[in-house]
Amino acid sequence: MILKRIAVTNWRSLLGAVELGPFSDGLNVIHAPNGTGKSSLFEAMRRGLFDVHHVKGNEIESVRPWGRDLTPSVVIEFAEGSETYRVEKTFLSGASSKLSRLEDGKFQPIADSRNADTKIREILAAEAPGRGLSKQEHWGLAQVLWAPQGELAIDKISGSANERLRAALGIQMSGESGGQIEEQIEARFLEYFTSKGGYKKGKFAAPIVNLQEREVEIRSQLLELRQKHQAFEEAAHSVDDARHRRLQARREADATRETVDEMRASVERFDKLKSEQSNKRETESLAKKRYDDFNNSFLQIKTLREQIASNEKTAAILQDSEAGLEKETKSARERLDKKRSERESARNKRSSISEAQKAIDRARAYLDQQALVDAHNKRINKLDAIQKELEVFKQKRTRCVAPESKVLKKLRNLAAKRDAAKAALSASQIHLSISPENSIAVEDLTDSSKHSVGPEETASFSGDALVEIHVNGFGAIRASGPEGSAEKHRKTLEEALGEIEKLCQPFGTDDLERLQTLRDEADAIERSIEALEERMDTLLDRESIETLKQEHAEAKARIAEIEKQYGDWKKEAPVLSKLQKDFESLSLKINDTIAESEGAYEQAQISLSASEKNLNEGQAELKVQQAGLDTAKKRIEELLDGGLSDEAREKAISDALMSWQAAKAAADQAEASLKEIPGDPHRDLKKLEKQRTALEQTEASARDAEKTAEGQLQSLSAEGTYSKLIAAEEELVELENRIAQESIRMDALKLLHGTVSECRSRVIASVSAPVERSASRMLSRVVGPRLGELKLTGEFVPEAITPELSTDPVALSNLSGGELEQLFLIARLALADVLAKDQRQLVVLDDVLNATDSGRLARLLSLLEEVSDRLQVIILTCHPERYRGLEQATFVKLGI
Amino acid sequence: MIRFVHTADWQIGMKAAGLGDASQRVRDVRLDSVERIVELARERDIELLLITGDVFEDNAVDRSLVRKVGETLSRFRGQVFITPGNHDPLTPGSVWEHPVWEENSHVHVLRDRRPIELENCVLYPCPLKEKYSTRNPLSSIDASDTHKVAIGLAHGNVEGLPDAEPDYPIPVDAAQKAGLDFLAIGHWHSFSPYKGSDGIVRMAYSGTHETTKFGERDSGNVLLVKIAERGAVPQIESLRTGALKWLTLDRSIAQADDLARLSSELKAIEDPGNCLVRIRLDGLLFMSARAELELLNEILTTRFLYGFLSIERMTPAPEDDSWIEELPVGVLRESAETIRQQAFNGSDEQTRLVATRALLELFELKEKAAL
Repeated sequence: MILKRIAVTNWRSLLGAVELGPFSDGLNVIHAPNGTGKSSLFEAMRRGLFDVHHVKGNEIESVRPWGRDLTPSVVIEFAEGSETYRVEKTFLSGASSKLSRLEDGKFQPIADSRNADTKIREILAAEAPGRGLSKQEHWGLAQVLWAPQGELAIDKISGSANERLRAALGIQMSGESGGQIEEQIEARFLEYFTSKGGYKKGKFAAPIVNLQEREVEIRSQLLELRQKHQAFEEAAHSVDDARHRRLQARREADATRETVDEMRASVERFDKLKSEQSNKRETESLAKKRYDDFNNSFLQIKTLREQIASNEKTAAILQDSEAGLEKETKSARERLDKKRSERESARNKRSSISEAQKAIDRARAYLDQQALVDAHNKRINKLDAIQKELEVFKQKRTRCVAPESKVLKKLRNLAAKRDAAKAALSASQIHLSISPENSIAVEDLTDSSKHSVGPEETASFSGDALVEIHVNGFGAIRASGPEGSAEKHRKTLEEALGEIEKLCQPFGTDDLERLQTLRDEADAIERSIEALEERMDTLLDRESIETLKQEHAEAKARIAEIEKQYGDWKKEAPVLSKLQKDFESLSLKINDTIAESEGAYEQAQISLSASEKNLNEGQAELKVQQAGLDTAKKRIEELLDGGLSDEAREKAISDALMSWQAAKAAADQAEASLKEIPGDPHRDLKKLEKQRTALEQTEASARDAEKTAEGQLQSLSAEGTYSKLIAAEEELVELENRIAQESIRMDALKLLHGTVSECRSRVIASVSAPVERSASRMLSRVVGPRLGELKLTGEFVPEAITPELSTDPVALSNLSGGELEQLFLIARLALADVLAKDQRQLVVLDDVLNATDSGRLARLLSLLEEVSDRLQVIILTCHPERYRGLEQATFVKLGI
Repeated sequence: MIRFVHTADWQIGMKAAGLGDASQRVRDVRLDSVERIVELARERDIELLLITGDVFEDNAVDRSLVRKVGETLSRFRGQVFITPGNHDPLTPGSVWEHPVWEENSHVHVLRDRRPIELENCVLYPCPLKEKYSTRNPLSSIDASDTHKVAIGLAHGNVEGLPDAEPDYPIPVDAAQKAGLDFLAIGHWHSFSPYKGSDGIVRMAYSGTHETTKFGERDSGNVLLVKIAERGAVPQIESLRTGALKWLTLDRSIAQADDLARLSSELKAIEDPGNCLVRIRLDGLLFMSARAELELLNEILTTRFLYGFLSIERMTPAPEDDSWIEELPVGVLRESAETIRQQAFNGSDEQTRLVATRALLELFELKEKAAL
């Protein structure tokens, strides 16, 4: 396609109609500053060629100029092959489409509306977009040839564009039938596999997937059934085990029962022997007791006889010592009485100490009272003096007549009121003044008073509302003014004056200053009185003077009382220190005497107690000896009651001893027989019976367990677990076989598909090789040999470079921004060159090469000039100066 | 004279894996064949039926099967003696605890080794009470004292059998040693008589009454045994009871029309409804014979009780490359050649098998495209 002319109306920033063209078949540079509509122009061309006129949505709405209700439209004239077409397309309101063809020098319509849209796409081999605006993959070859702003990179080339490229390169991938078979392979593959080679799942899952899922299920079921079958077999074992346990328990219980019976017989024999042994031991015990009785009796008699002799001897000794002890006690008692008397005598001297102490106390009281009387005398004298002075001031105060402060304040208020009333009265009256040059006689007609006024004198006349005078020789003069207000002020004045007079009458003057002086004098007197009264209060210290005087009299009385007892103190006052010294000396002496007598008394008392104790003890001992003697005598009488001789007694003892030894030998014999039975048969029997019971319980438990296991087994056997198990196993084997078969089939399909794909890739790789070589040469011319070879995918998309110094390809992401844009521009030019083999093609570059330095730009411009022999190139830029090197280019400034 | 039928290894309720939908039918037929034994014994006026173990495949088979077997045997007019085998040993919960065995006085499950004295013979039973044992089941049997015909009933492996485990081992001369006139044994599914040192057959596996799998020889029979008197030579006759035929056809295909001949052979088989057929092909696979293979498979799966066709061992015929030449030059032909090479030279059997199958797929698609 070659662009001839384009006219755009109301498209984004392009208001009104903008028309460009005719364009050169070679290089064209359309330039304008930013934001003036270069890209909008390019966009309008794309929309006009590739989008349906009735497209709706926000994207197409956005091409309408902002804030205006205008209809965007575009007219494009282009040549394709030998034909020249005109497209007229209007979007949004009033949308329309029209395609015309140049026939005999005129454009004749060939299609309109939707037909026009379709026809244009057919001419340009473009693809119909889905909903909304077309995208690059719908643009046919333009997706390779046209680079919108910021979209120079090539990520993907659609299938139809690829086919065109391959066709242009003269490559036939497959024949018609081959294509059909390949499609069938693809279709069959996609019937079972996803595009990534995995099995399809879900609703359209490959049969093998369903089989495998069922296999998983059946394996799970099988596991359960095997467990159940195993449970059946284990239950059978459990029953068998339980039976064995029960039989074993029964055998053990039977054996224990026999042992129990044997043990019972043993117990009976044991009991019998034990009874015999008990009887014989009892006989032995009786014999022994008899022997012991005889022997004890004989020994007791002997002992008692010895005891009586001893007691009698001791009693005689004690009776002798008792007389001596009684004498000693009497002597001690007499000594005690004497010492008691001495102690009492010493104690009686303590009263002298009390007397001395009392004299000291009285002397201290005497001296205190005297000091009190002296103090009272001083205070009473001072009080008398103050009282006299106070009397003088009080008389002064009585003579001084002065108004109270409150009255004085009130008088001041009244004087102020009076003065105000006077001023107000004067202000409310009419005043007339006359200052004659010569003496004149004036009569006040208001009160008929007459006045004479000389020269340089002034006569004034006042009245409430009217002043009227008569001047002799002149006539009457009348002055009048407002009425009513003077009377009110006068009344107020009179009331104030009356009140002042009433209040001042007691003081004989209404002079406020005089009255204030009187008040000040009265205040000074009152302050003096208060000061004196305060001094009196201080001296009295909250006492009354009468109380003080009474206390004074009482102190004097107490002194007189003491002087009655101690007359010397009247002449000479006692000295306390001397009295105290005398007292201490006396007290020490008396207390020593008392202590000494008390010690002697206590010593005597102890001595008496010791004597009495010895006497009592001797008497008690004597009593004990006598009592023991009596008891022994009584006991021996009892023992001798049989009247046997000592010889007869000794023989009886010997006989008893022999009987006891015989009985003991019989008992020992019985015990030896008992010891022949080991342990305690009763205890053993008890243990065995417990053991038997436990074994019987074990047997019962085993029987219960057997029944329980049998129940479980019966339940499991009724289920026929094996039959279910084999049904599942059969299904599993069937599934495994089918999966194996299906797996072979799927693997075969995958192999077929994979092999065909690989072969196709190899062919495609060989197809893209000429483009790679062409692009690599261009790249080398622009950037030098550093980047090496450019590698394209089978779909002609640049994917890597192979630098000369590297054996492995390097991903494009490793290149700089400038190199990337150079590489993609070159790739596009190389592809465009291929497509231009049959006819000239339009290349559009919108604001590209912004990151390319001037050196490489110059080389790229040379390249553009070269390809412009085969391609129409339209460059949209805001930097026309960068392209000034394109000598053959037509420069068009947008908007001019 | 004593006349009895000896049978064993009915394996009722057995697994018939790998037979697809035919599995249940195979199981059902085994039960029907028991009925046939009873009919046969009645026809031959037999008074004694001896079953030596493995009547059931397992002690946990469906109890309805146990009842069916019991009821079928109850219709026999003579006496039935059964000794449990290693598949249905006399253990707690075994099939022998089913009440059906108590319902008929002439059907006896022999639960211990006490000899059973009958009018004309004495039976020496050796019931098995567990699945595995290295003990000779006849170890304590001694029939030397009896004057009647002595018949032993046992289940185990006769020593010297190929691949036999030492499980319930039975000496080859067990009948002679025990003084038996005949030892009826079960466990192996093929009829196998054993001659004693005197050259007389006094011990035999009757084999199963209905074949259990492909390749099982001399099965599907019972034995009719006649013994005139104590010490007389037993007369043994094998009677057919099996209803199913299990055929394995291993064929090598050398040329394309070999398959057509095989189809004809298949069509000629009688009673296909009771026939299970397994065909294993090897040799050369001609792509053009794909339709014939499909036909073969169709005959197998539609006419026969069970059919299975295996072509895993076939390899593409080397000269069969004309169809590849018919493919368009380019991707497809190159792909076909690549896969064909894999089918010939693949590193393992699976790789070659998959490649062969891929060629078949490609061939089919090519044929479709040509239509």
